[in-house]
Order: sequence, then C-alpha cells, then structure tokens
Amino acid sequence: MASRIVAENLSAGYGAVQVLHEVSLRVESGETVVLLGTNGNGKSTLIKCLTGIIQPTSGSIYLERDGERINLAGRSPQEIVNLGVALVPEGRRLFPKLTVTENLELGAFRPAARERLKDNLAFCFEAFPRLAERRHQMAGSMSGGEQQMVAVARAMMSDPQVLLIDEPSVGLAPILVSRMIEKIKELHDHRALTVLMAEQNFNQAIKIADRGYIIVHGEIAFEGESADALKNNEMVKQLYLGA
Amino acid sequence: MLDLFLNAIAAGILLGGFYAAMTVGLTISFGQLDIVNIAHPAFIVLGSFCTFVLHEHAGLDPLLAGVLLAPAFFCIGIGVYSVYYGSFERRGDESLRGLAFFFGIMFILEVLLIMTFGVDYRLVETSYIGESIKIGVIGLPFRMLVPFLAALAMAGGIYLYLSKTFTGRAILAVAQDRLALQLMGADPVRTKQIAFGIGLGTAAVAGSLLIMLGPVEPSVGRLYIGRIFAIVVLGGMGSIGGTIVAAIILGVVESMVATFYGPSWSPAVAFGFLLMTLAIRPSGLFGR
Repeated sequence: MASRIVAENLSAGYGAVQVLHEVSLRVESGETVVLLGTNGNGKSTLIKCLTGIIQPTSGSIYLERDGERINLAGRSPQEIVNLGVALVPEGRRLFPKLTVTENLELGAFRPAARERLKDNLAFCFEAFPRLAERRHQMAGSMSGGEQQMVAVARAMMSDPQVLLIDEPSVGLAPILVSRMIEKIKELHDHRALTVLMAEQNFNQAIKIADRGYIIVHGEIAFEGESADALKNNEMVKQLYLGA
Repeated sequence: MLDLFLNAIAAGILLGGFYAAMTVGLTISFGQLDIVNIAHPAFIVLGSFCTFVLHEHAGLDPLLAGVLLAPAFFCIGIGVYSVYYGSFERRGDESLRGLAFFFGIMFILEVLLIMTFGVDYRLVETSYIGESIKIGVIGLPFRMLVPFLAALAMAGGIYLYLSKTFTGRAILAVAQDRLALQLMGADPVRTKQIAFGIGLGTAAVAGSLLIMLGPVEPSVGRLYIGRIFAIVVLGGMGSIGGTIVAAIILGVVESMVATFYGPSWSPAVAFGFLLMTLAIRPSGLFGR
C-alpha cells in the first residue's frame, strides 16, 4: 500500500497565538522525512495538526492512499488512526497503570489491526526483546528508554502505513537516542513505512533521513532534498553545528 | 462455640459475595472512570423494585428478572453518563457539581419509588428462597448462596470482558490518558458511556439479589453507600478481583462482629477497616 501525506499552506495555533504560518510539507510513500527545529518553533504543533489533535485555522492536509485522496483536516484523532496513520506522541503518553502487554494490545484497537494482533505483538517483542522480558510490568514503572520503546511498539500495533513520531529523543541518554533512531529505521525498512519524525537532535535524526525540513518560527525555513543537502546548509551549520 | 464461629465465617463469605455484586458496578464507575456515582445503591434499590414488579405480575424468577433488567439499566446508564458528560465533565467541573448531580438522582429515585410503592417493605417468594443446605455443622441458606454464586458469575464475566475485549481494555485505560486513547482509535466518551452503562447494568442484577436476601424499602440503599465505597477503595480502586476479596473480607469481619458483639457494631467495622487500610496501604489492598 502506498501512502503519502501532503500539507499545504497550513496555519494553526492555540487561541490567539498563531504558531504555524502557511507551512507546506509532503512525505512521499516509503520515505523517512525529518522535521527539524529547536524548541518552540512549531514542530509539535504541525504533528498535532496532522493527527487531528488540533485543527488548522487554514490550509489543507490530505492523505493519499493507493491514489485515493482523503482529506484529514476536520477529522478527529481516532478517525485519522483508523486511516492507518499512527502517532508516537511527545512525552510518550503511555497508560502508566497498565502492563506493557496491555498497552500494546490497546494499540491494536482499530478494527483493521485487531485480527493481526498476535502477529504484530510477536513482531514488536522481536523488535524490542526488552519489552518481551518486561511484558507484565506496569508501563509507568519503566525507565525512559523502555517507555519510549513501548510508545513506538504501541504505535506499530495499529498496523500503520504512516508513522509520525514526535521527538523520540526527549529525556533519553545519548546512547539510547542513537539506538532508538536505528530502531525506527529498522521498523521503516521492515514494514515499508512512511515516516515523519520531528526531532531537535539534528545529528541523530539526519542519520536515517531521506529528506528534511527545517522549521523556524512556524515557517519552513529550508527544505533539504537529501541528508547531505541538510548537513551542508549554512543555516544548519549556524543553528545546530555551531560553525 | 466452634459451630458458631464456622457458621459466622460461612455467612460472612456469602454476605461478602453479595456485597461484591453491589459494588462491582461502582468499581467500574468510581474506580475506573473517576465518577462518584453516589446514586449507585439507589439504582440497586430501583432494580429490586423492578424485580418485585416482574416477579409479582409476570411471575418471573427474581434472578432471571434481574438479568433481563440489566440491558434496560445499561441504556439508562448511557443516558445518565451522557447528561453528566455534557453538563459537567466536558466543562471540567465534575468534582463537586457531579457529586450533587448524583445526589439529586438518588433523591429523585427514592421519591419516585416512595410515590409508587409507598414506604412499606416488599419481598419476593420463590421455591428456593426458604431452603438451605447443610455441610457438616455449617448451614448455607439458599437466599444467600444464590446471590453469592450470581455475584461471582457476574464479577467473573466483567473481569473477562475488561481484560479480553478491546472495548474492555479501553475502559481500563480511559481515565489514565484520554488523548492517548484517542490516538489508539477509541472514542473516550463512547467508551465511558459503555462502561457506565455496564456499571448500572450490574445494579439491576444486584437489585434482584438484594430483594432475594430480604425485604426492601425505597431508601434502604443509603445503608450501603458507605460499605460499597469502602469496598471499592479497599479493593484498589478499579480492580475486579480486589473488589471480590475486599467484599468478602468485609463480609466475614461484619459477620463475626455481628455474631460475637452484636449487629449494631457491624457498620462501624466497615469504616474502621477502611481507615486502617488507608493508613497502612493508601492504594488499597490490590492497588496498581
């Protein structure tokens, strides 16, 4: 299944505060695209728009699935999940008083994923052996790195075609960030996922990126057609690499 | 003396099972959904009177009547939660006003029952209610044994529903993170409607057990408010297994106190026990 996401001239904000100004972005089928930006520039707001958590004030978002164009603006988060777009939210948002397995089983709530629950659960435990060991542990009692694994695995349980990931590196030690990013690439390759990842850790994110956008003050400041284009950009050097 | 002791324990276990039937709905609404449904016992009494009517006029077995009433109570529950959500929870002022709302429902139900049936005690008679079986020195009256078994069956069914079905799991999760549940593709309001509906559905069955156990008058539910809230907290706020164990512990303790010190002491025991548990283990006996 081919799924791509396109956002055109998206504006959004919270109450009177406008955060996004006419942002356009696309993620082609099978691509891994990174959305780079430091804190407070609108990465999370953009991800929230794409998943229906907040509604854009103007502009359009659509998902193209096997040539069929589906408008996402105005839809609720649950409708968007049911279209095969899963989100690993910022701050993980696990169900702390449920076990790892229960969290993962809830990930398979959407009707299209239910019949594949067993296969997907086995897949997730294989991808994250650590979670298999701790399957009966309460999610809230796990370490940050393990919780991030649960969050990613839970999103995978919904059998998505498109995976959106909001800041997987927050609160993790550098070695764990690196492992998590590699794991995301592995999942992408295994499942032919379309991935959009918002991240502020430039060096890590760019390792797995096909393309990327840099968002500054709610506008796309630079669009890099390859990882190298991003690395060699003057603004990137200034913002992230300290050159 | 030993006979008395054993019989007190057996009666306590059976009484505890009945308490579990009364409480399991509140375990869902109060324990899982954080809805302080203080009207739960009033709905149980409503279930008793509906059972009475079905038994008296249609000749139905009380337990069968309770089971048949459960779907109707489920629908009432969906309606009640929808009003509660629209008027209080959505605006975020559910804590105090929501409590007042359920207090109001409790009084309305009581007054409606008094206006319809008067303040007299009502009871049901079936072939098995007067009987009992004897195991050694222990006598098990059917009017307590049937509620006990029905309670275990109902609690077991609910436990399986919550742990094995997708909607059941969503019910366990809905109070923990609403947005995360939406991101799983579940509608939190719908989930809570179903959960609250199940809670009231159990009240119908518990009502039929209540009137099987003894005569019922419209405001008898008030006697149970403290007990069933104590059991929910003791059981760990939302654990079905915890509710059963806590209910049986409470039943046994009450029965022992009633046998050896006098029945007037037994309500005090519920609260003494609650206070002690909260002091030693604030999350209840089976809190997660």
